[in-house]
Amino acid sequence: MFKDLDPILHSQLRLAVMSLLISVKEAEFTYLKEKTEATAGNLSVQIQKLKDAGYIEVIKSFKDNYPQTTCKITQQGVKAFEKYVAALQTYLGK
Amino acid sequence: MREFIFPETINVYKMEEKQLSENESLELISKMINKAKQSYKDTGVSSMMWGIVISLCSLVRFAEIEFGFSLPFNIYWLTFVAVIPQILISIREHKGKNYKTYDDTYMLYVWMGFGISIGLLVFITSVVGNEAAKSSFPFYEYISSFFLLLYGIPTFITGTACKVKPMLWGALLCWICSIATVYSNGKIDLLLTALAAIFAWLIPGIIMQLDFRKAKNELVRNHV
Repeated sequence: MFKDLDPILHSQLRLAVMSLLISVKEAEFTYLKEKTEATAGNLSVQIQKLKDAGYIEVIKSFKDNYPQTTCKITQQGVKAFEKYVAALQTYLGK
Repeated sequence: MREFIFPETINVYKMEEKQLSENESLELISKMINKAKQSYKDTGVSSMMWGIVISLCSLVRFAEIEFGFSLPFNIYWLTFVAVIPQILISIREHKGKNYKTYDDTYMLYVWMGFGISIGLLVFITSVVGNEAAKSSFPFYEYISSFFLLLYGIPTFITGTACKVKPMLWGALLCWICSIATVYSNGKIDLLLTALAAIFAWLIPGIIMQLDFRKAKNELVRNHV
């Protein structure tokens, strides 16, 4: 049934992260954690999967002497997200 | 058979790596986009501050002319002093934000461009004003028109881009006042400038602040 849907995006937390990142220019890890209300460990794993797929860019830096992780959607990520939404609409239209 | 789960049953609060139905997916996407949109709220503090500063300067200058007194300093220096709290407000707001929107970046450039333009306009009008002082041409009677013209531009862009309708109307008022000041005397120009600043920045700033507080309270309530 879901064979045409991107398996990377077709997961609750990863889809939530991508939906947030498509709405902003970039977001810190804390922002994603706050909005998804996921655990830090789970969120880290899913972010890594999105990064490995090339859908997001992860920038590690320091802010006030604390490590900071910033995530940004890539062009590849935008295209994949748009394709995923279009596929969903096709399914619902059936 | 396709599994259908009602949107109300979607638990976005304990997200697992589980399979979603099509409806669940769309519901989740729209929920997350709405959550992101809720964070966009501007505090309106800068807008309020500039509305107060510009209207105060114009009204004090009007009072000086009308009632024949003079402050020991030029009231318009307040506009330069106000840049300091503006920088502090921007730093504080930037530090408190853990995300960046596309609008943030564009708006920053628009208002930076406006600040530079105002600085250049002050310089140009002082140079031209000194030259005009040698003739009988009352150049200073027309300065407000240029400033009001400029005030309208970033206000119009912000009002349109950030969907702050009162700011859009304020920008239009700036341009109407800009035309009106061409035909009015210096004293009326000051009142029109104060009026434009109140409607373009102070009132929209208050509305934005109220919206911001409302959104913040809603967020707190949803977490209880």
